[in-house]
Amino acid sequence: MAHLDRIRAVFRSSLNLAPDAEVDGLAYRAIPQWDSLAHMTLVAALEDEFDIMIDTDDVLDLSSFDKAVALLEKHGVVTAG
Amino acid sequence: MIPFLHPGARLIDGLTGRELAGDALVREIHAAAERMFALPPGLMLSVMPADARSVIRYLAALLSRRPIALLDPGIRGEALLDLVNRFTPAIVAGPPPAAATPDGYRTGSETYWIRAGAPPHHPELGVLLATSGSTGNPKLVRLSRPAVAANARAVAQALGLTPGDLWPTTLSLHYTYGLTTLNAHLAAGGGVLVTGHSLLDREFWELSDSHGATSLAAVPYHFEILARLRFDAADHPKLRMITQAGGRLSEQRIADFARRMAVTGGHLVKMYGMTEAPRMSVLAPERLADKIGSVGTAIPGGALSIDDGEVVYEGPNVMMGYAECGADLARGDDLCGVIRTGDLGHLDDDGFLYLDGRIRRIGKVFGVRVNLDDVERMLAGRGLPVAVVGGDDRLVVWAEGLDRAGCAETARELAAGLRTHPSGIDVRGIGALPLLPTGKIDYRTLENMP
Repeated sequence: MAHLDRIRAVFRSSLNLAPDAEVDGLAYRAIPQWDSLAHMTLVAALEDEFDIMIDTDDVLDLSSFDKAVALLEKHGVVTAG
Repeated sequence: MIPFLHPGARLIDGLTGRELAGDALVREIHAAAERMFALPPGLMLSVMPADARSVIRYLAALLSRRPIALLDPGIRGEALLDLVNRFTPAIVAGPPPAAATPDGYRTGSETYWIRAGAPPHHPELGVLLATSGSTGNPKLVRLSRPAVAANARAVAQALGLTPGDLWPTTLSLHYTYGLTTLNAHLAAGGGVLVTGHSLLDREFWELSDSHGATSLAAVPYHFEILARLRFDAADHPKLRMITQAGGRLSEQRIADFARRMAVTGGHLVKMYGMTEAPRMSVLAPERLADKIGSVGTAIPGGALSIDDGEVVYEGPNVMMGYAECGADLARGDDLCGVIRTGDLGHLDDDGFLYLDGRIRRIGKVFGVRVNLDDVERMLAGRGLPVAVVGGDDRLVVWAEGLDRAGCAETARELAAGLRTHPSGIDVRGIGALPLLPTGKIDYRTLENMP
């Protein structure tokens, strides 16, 4: 589960949320903190944290916490089990 | 009639896909104006999200000669209340749902707050825009209807807009660059696709491509988004133009996007403007290669000059002046078409304008203007000596003796206070702020710190 916690940590710092904020289930623009600026920061931070390249389609599809998890699974970052 | 609306102009509601073109758009505006006529006379404050209803309300206000102030859709309740107290508008359209109706107002249909007895206004007063959205008590810029019309026509001409053009709303419409782009397209008989989606939404690109968008209007951070999306003009065959304004963009980035657009015969157009004079110059795309650092030449009807290093603009689209309270709405033209911009600049032998910095303490974060002195005042309560300078599309805050954690904390708090993202704010600790012999902070030295 360590990877999931790392994703949560990236979300909290990129979206400027409190260290204990609940981020599972968040969706793009559902909260004021997750705007287009924060989205850019989030994408870059996920790339840095997991050393991956996120392509155009995935930047546009990365519209929720769950989709971020799914994207990282696709990139071989294990998040469960 | 609305002073600049071309009879063929089109408005497409991105939400429903409904298109209002030509007579149908005019009829809709007239119907909205008639409903507005039934309400007490005076200023209208209108919260301005990117939706078709808000655009029609704005055009109806122009038609019915009612001054309209366009406000940030994210405006906080207390900021709106401050404006209501200072300006006593006759109508407040689209207040935040949670906000309580202020004293003296009744609630009407269409979620309006309404009151009689609004102060009188100048007969030509058309549009009011806030000078800065987030700090202090914003002054409102007073634009006359003829100025709004002159601006729309001049920009349409300078950009070569035609009835075939279609702009998807990439910018907020309460923002001078966004409003200008809307007006210019309507003046040219082109179309505007009104969408609340951003460049980072798949829906934005699907809508834009399916309706055949021909231009994007962008501020510097949009180019970072487009670069991140690996923007390729060939994916959007109808797109022929990207305009750039709202702050300095590196020459490298400009050249990069000019090349990306050229792949399909399109181009990049640099522009320069401010809320007080919505557009002042445009760089013709065929001159981009040899004048890449310039913001171009004056728009049709305008003139640029330099006085003691400061850029001075004269033209029919200059504001009448500022308004700080309801009584100011009756004021006439304080500026007579001439504005000192507060920007330092020079003109080359061909009359192309180059910007060299700012006189006034104004910075930009993500294209939005921020008064640096206001930011210093916001931070003054923390008891630390601070100095704020403007960087490229961000603020740099120098704080004496602040450690790393303190810097991060300050950036986060300031971002929340300014309603922007912390990545636009760089807070740095410094042993001691550099001072001039006069004892004042040496901002020039701070600006040049690596």
